Amino acid sequence: MTVLLCGAGAVGARAARQLVDTPGVEHVLVADRDARRARSVVEVMSPKAEVTDWRPGDPMPGGVSVLACALPGGVDAVAAPPAVDAGVDVVSCADDRAGVAALLALGARARRTGSRIVVGAGLAPGLTDVLAAHAGAALDTVTTVRVARSGTAGPACRDALRRALRERPRELRAGRWNEDPRRGGHELVWFPDPVGAAECHLVDGGVELLYDGFPGLERASVRFAAPPSRGWAPFPVRRAADAGWAAARVEVDGRRGVAWETLVYGVVERAEVAAGTVLATVAAHLAGALAVGPALPPGATGLARAVDPVAFLGELTTRGVRAAAFEGTPV
Amino acid sequence: MKNLRRGLLVLVLAVLAGGILKLRGRGGVPPTGGGWRELEGPDYR
Repeated sequence: MTVLLCGAGAVGARAARQLVDTPGVEHVLVADRDARRARSVVEVMSPKAEVTDWRPGDPMPGGVSVLACALPGGVDAVAAPPAVDAGVDVVSCADDRAGVAALLALGARARRTGSRIVVGAGLAPGLTDVLAAHAGAALDTVTTVRVARSGTAGPACRDALRRALRERPRELRAGRWNEDPRRGGHELVWFPDPVGAAECHLVDGGVELLYDGFPGLERASVRFAAPPSRGWAPFPVRRAADAGWAAARVEVDGRRGVAWETLVYGVVERAEVAAGTVLATVAAHLAGALAVGPALPPGATGLARAVDPVAFLGELTTRGVRAAAFEGTPV
Repeated sequence: MKNLRRGLLVLVLAVLAGGILKLRGRGGVPPTGGGWRELEGPDYR
């Protein structure tokens, strides 16, 4: 099985390492607009990995089973269509509203060509959707899913986050989409240590994928912590002790029997490591090198429907990405 | 002119006080109502 990995940045480099270390993946082609960066990723992983001069929008090379996209926001929408037309499976870690919507819109095309598209295969959206599905499986009905993320994977991810914070936020309230033109809706969110507390702002951030994963959901929201300042301040700024760490928190409310329950799951990891591992695991699953879920039908879907949460969390644990549960009174 | 000087003095003092709080201030005590436990197989609950 050959995987074409597009993007050799912070997430792409970690995904490449994970793919190369997956026994069922025979060949990894790495494409990046910066050929030198692609070579630097590949040279420590030869001979299983190889650089290709493929560019988003080009026809798919022969023999590729899966296109894994670790690209800046918006580029996925250019990279994916040729793969879909060729019947090649696509997995993307896009977390911007336009990118997620563009990939989901390819669903009908994918059903015609037999391609499967998994959207939002990063930390959040991505692992958080799986944790929400895992919590949902323990409840009879799910009414509310709240997701929060702190930390970014690299410069492109930070830019995407800044764009997301400038965009109009969207959340599901009482089963209806609410787009508040005013900024706001920030909350202090408690992540696992060493990240701890961080003020998180309401963003779109793949909230549509949460709704896709839980039909009948009444409330859903995604909040991201603002990235650190660009460092141009003329005075010394106190550096956060958790610099470099990312965290995600998923809070799911629902009913089990006659009782209301809240389940809280979280994860702490380097953002690029978590996102790269999730991306590679899903790519390997689509390629048939791993079995972490049911056989997916053609079309586009979020990660919550694409994998079996227990099998997926087990695979991530063997790869060093461990989730945690909050026990006590959620704050 | 006198009012302007007073305003500037207040502004400088406010910036200094804000800067001291930013650099030397400490966060409050986090609310502790539980803790995080790593998920383990086989059911990862």
